Amino acid sequence: MTLPTTLRTVTLPDVPGLGGVYARGAASAGRLAVTRRVGRAPAGLPEVAYEVRGVDVDPTHLTDYQHLLGEPGSDVLPAGFVHVLAFPLATALMARTDFPLSLLGMVHLSNVVTQRRAVRLGEVLDVRAWAQDLRPHRSGTQVDLVTEVSVAGELVWTGTSTYLSKGDSNGESDAGPREEFVAPVPTGQWRLAGDVGRRYAAVSGDRNPIHLSALSAKALGFPRAIAHGMYTAARALADVGAARGEAFDWSVEFAKPVLLPGTVTVRVAADDEGFAFTGWDAKRTRPYLTGRVDPL
Amino acid sequence: MAASKTTTPAAAPRALVLGGNRIPFARAGGKYAHASNQDMLTAALDGLVARYGLQGERIGEVAAGAVLKHSRDFNLTRETVLGSALSAETPAYDLQQACATGLETVVSLSNKIRLGQIESAVAGGVDTTSDAPIAVSDRLRRALLDLSRARSVGQKIAAASKIRPKDLAPATPRTSEPRTGLSMGEHQALTTAQWGITREAQDEIAFASHQNLAAAWAAGFFDDLVTPYRGQSQDGNLRADTSLEKLAGLRPTFGLGLDTPATMTAGNSTPLTDGASTVLLGNDAWATAHGLTPLAVVVDAEAAAVDFVHGVDGLLMAGAFAVPRLLARNGLTLADFDYVEIHEAFASTVLTTLAAWESETFGRERLGLDGAFGTVDRARLNVHGSSLAAGHPFAATGGRIVATISKELHRRRTAEGRPVRALVSICAAGGLGLTAILEAA
Amino acid sequence: MSDTYLNLVNSGFTKKLAKQLGLPQPAPLRRYRPGQPLLEGPTLVLGRGADAEAVAGLLSTTWDLEVHRHATPELRYAAVVVVLTEVTQPTDLSEPVLAAAGALKSLARGGRVVTLSRTATADDAPAVAAARQGVDGLLRSLAKELRGGSTGNGIVLDAAVGVDAPSVVGALRFFLSTRSAFVDGQLLTVSSAAGTLPTSWERPLEGRVAVVTGAARGIGESIADTLARDGATVVAVDMPSAGEHLTTVANRVRGTALQLDVTAEDAGERILEHALARHGRIDIVVHNAGITRDKLLANMTPEKWDPVLAVNIAAQLRINEALLTSGDFADEPRIVSLASTSGIAGNRGQTNYAASKGGVIGMVRATAPLLEAFGGTANAVAPGFIETDMTARIPAVTRQVARRLNSLQQGGQPVDVAETVAFLASPAAGGVVGRVLRVCGQNMVGQ
Repeated sequence: MTLPTTLRTVTLPDVPGLGGVYARGAASAGRLAVTRRVGRAPAGLPEVAYEVRGVDVDPTHLTDYQHLLGEPGSDVLPAGFVHVLAFPLATALMARTDFPLSLLGMVHLSNVVTQRRAVRLGEVLDVRAWAQDLRPHRSGTQVDLVTEVSVAGELVWTGTSTYLSKGDSNGESDAGPREEFVAPVPTGQWRLAGDVGRRYAAVSGDRNPIHLSALSAKALGFPRAIAHGMYTAARALADVGAARGEAFDWSVEFAKPVLLPGTVTVRVAADDEGFAFTGWDAKRTRPYLTGRVDPL
Repeated sequence: MAASKTTTPAAAPRALVLGGNRIPFARAGGKYAHASNQDMLTAALDGLVARYGLQGERIGEVAAGAVLKHSRDFNLTRETVLGSALSAETPAYDLQQACATGLETVVSLSNKIRLGQIESAVAGGVDTTSDAPIAVSDRLRRALLDLSRARSVGQKIAAASKIRPKDLAPATPRTSEPRTGLSMGEHQALTTAQWGITREAQDEIAFASHQNLAAAWAAGFFDDLVTPYRGQSQDGNLRADTSLEKLAGLRPTFGLGLDTPATMTAGNSTPLTDGASTVLLGNDAWATAHGLTPLAVVVDAEAAAVDFVHGVDGLLMAGAFAVPRLLARNGLTLADFDYVEIHEAFASTVLTTLAAWESETFGRERLGLDGAFGTVDRARLNVHGSSLAAGHPFAATGGRIVATISKELHRRRTAEGRPVRALVSICAAGGLGLTAILEAA
Repeated sequence: MSDTYLNLVNSGFTKKLAKQLGLPQPAPLRRYRPGQPLLEGPTLVLGRGADAEAVAGLLSTTWDLEVHRHATPELRYAAVVVVLTEVTQPTDLSEPVLAAAGALKSLARGGRVVTLSRTATADDAPAVAAARQGVDGLLRSLAKELRGGSTGNGIVLDAAVGVDAPSVVGALRFFLSTRSAFVDGQLLTVSSAAGTLPTSWERPLEGRVAVVTGAARGIGESIADTLARDGATVVAVDMPSAGEHLTTVANRVRGTALQLDVTAEDAGERILEHALARHGRIDIVVHNAGITRDKLLANMTPEKWDPVLAVNIAAQLRINEALLTSGDFADEPRIVSLASTSGIAGNRGQTNYAASKGGVIGMVRATAPLLEAFGGTANAVAPGFIETDMTARIPAVTRQVARRLNSLQQGGQPVDVAETVAFLASPAAGGVVGRVLRVCGQNMVGQ
């Protein structure tokens, strides 16, 4: 991923807080609706990249994340933790008034991370984020949020999160018919308690109401709270464990939200290239997520 | 060891099984419901001391352990020794290797005896699921620790204010594998399906276990292996009157979500059990000095582990790998064993292990052999019953098996006057397996 | 097992009341503790002749007791020993007996009267036999008159047994000591000069290996404790189901526990194997294991009859046979078997039990001669009412009555039986052969 040359880089003094982002997102959603009606909705993505330099990692924050996800408590930052560090920057972009899609109700479709080398506690991180590739999806519009993390000019981590904004479709669809899901032999099971959304929100800062409580999720059209997609992806990464090495590609596609509390039956197993993982609903034989971790 | 210094070490001493004692195993919530691990281990140890007249004796070392352990039991074995009839000068240590704990105490103490570090030892294990440790929740624990560290009133209030009512709910010990979230039964159900083990075959193993154990009790075989405790004078789980029909009538409890029919029931799986066991070990000189008849020699041991987390092998299949390595090192084959003791965590654990050894593919691809590893003569398998009938107080099972089969080895050797060997294999949580060779002394 | 009545009549107001009402007044019995002096007070030795002199010499010189040969009026004697071995006609009894009479009035509490006499046989001159047998009636009656926890017992010497025979000395010491607290009105016959006096009267069983069956509880537990206290290494045997208590006993006496059903076919072999392997020898076997299954004979069933006979006598016979044929039970071995007053006098509802206990008496009589060649003996101890878990289950009123039906007006303690067993198991008792010694406080029923 390279920063498109058309983008203007704005350096922020600090990683923005996510505290009021969803409230602001809700406001911007209202504004978008208004502007769209009057025919002045932004047609493209903001031509700006956000950057924060000199990000320090708080050890307690790291430990809390490691304990919640089942990662070893080492000084190596789990790839998902780096995502957590960079995520507010991408969110800040999406919360901009000139961002064409509504942050609220945005669905995380997939995520691809390349961890080039181990990032350790004590290293000072520079984070940059931008949005690209606004494109149609069969049920709306999708966009990639790209984040890069470097240490002293060396690119160490890249993440691309693809989001779907439902209903904002401009007509075209790139999706073919879905393959029928065949459940593999499980290797494990995640029993996710009702408070998993709140607990991950506490370590990730992502307090999207759909994750926090049944009530707040219902307000946004979900029967119960749903697990953060990146929580499940990070659990799968942790299940792969030390065998992933220090440099790897980690990709995931989210098929269905995991309602909380809930049980995800999983298979995390090695194949010729690396590790494939699948999480599914054993009762309805429907996948929640699929992905891979491939050592570089 | 009064010999003068010498540059050529004497031949390594043999590590001998000299006897054993356990308390009858009781079903969880039964007669030992209010007994602690230390209570039960002390009862087993005192029974051993009484049987072998070891009152006031300074034993080389006592090692024991428990799988489910209270934090107050940080020095369980030493505390047990202090409360027993042994000399208070007997050193002790705790050991934990999940369900292999009991056998590992035998193995590691035997190694010390063989190295000449000690002359005598008591190995043991205990577990209670009735008096399992219950901890406070992680959040409450952290808040309490923060509170204890807080100095100012403000800090204390801040720490205390973090406590939420739901944090007060206790955390019970996990019965599932930490890395997979699956219970042992669910794991074994996967392995059972993978190897195509039938319900009938599992029920037959369970039936044989009850029959064999009941016969041993009836014959007085356990008269000098078991000391009653708290009014329990026989293994509480034993159902001498069970039948294949009764076993066939039980509803499956594990593997219900799989494509294949569920085959594992409460009858062919071990129940939660409370109990304790001990094994007396020593070298030849110590045995002679104490008028004890050596029953068996601890010849060798091998541990193995499998990657069940990524589904490479079944959780409880490590024994299938350890035994071929152990036998290769000792130049032996399965046919060289008069007895094979495979811990019956589930009937299907035994069967999947046997199936793996009989599989050409497994032999070639997983064991690196030319073909199948071999076949176990069922008449030599768990001859006096095993965990399905006796129950399985995790850390106590190794001691039960070693003491039982050592007595049987000695009996057979006395009767037939030829070398007699036994193979012991115990699977454990975390994909562990521990195996050992015993030979009649 | 506490005897509330005994406590009441020995304290304060209730003591006075009981006296006025003429209720039985049992005295608390003093029991043996190591280190205790043999007697606390002077001993009066009565009788004429060399035997009386020898006994007086033994007591004063060897045992360092204060011995008087003539009664001093008003003096509180701890014991009176009447030596009647040399009486030749009934009138010979009058002088020593009447001399004793004066001393009895001021006999110390827990005092001891011991007679020494000779067996009356058909070969004796009628007057000699009359005099000798007269001692029997005299002693039994005298014992019934004693109060305050005092006892009277007799030692009967067979022909050719001198008063210095080890078993006479041993029995005299036993009867004088608190070890025989609940033995009363008994005459013990010494048949030979076999046996050896111990180096230490406190640890007469030093170096001996003793097997006690039924050792987990009650009398058996006490026997294990007592034999161990006297120096023996104890193999405590009981049913596998009694293992938890057995462990406690074995660990307390620093012996070994052997979980064994004594009715097992190979019980004797297993006892031998255990004792020899662990302790290198086997010297004493105490057959204490026993069961009751009470039922009137009219209602008796095989389920109640057979097990009692199997445990109480058949098992003993089988174990003895194994011992006798082993060749390892040959160094002054001792068999002590538990009989019962029921086996002597009979007891309603106990035909099965009494048959087995009567059997025990017959068994020791016939077994003893087989052991004599090795300096061995077989004897029985017949307990009367002993305060145990078993007697605690007797209905309260019946129990109160049963307790008082003896000269000491109380039940005995398990240790009283154990002390008697320990005496018969001791090296000194080698001349006591095939006898039954009752520990019953001179129960009114039976001999």
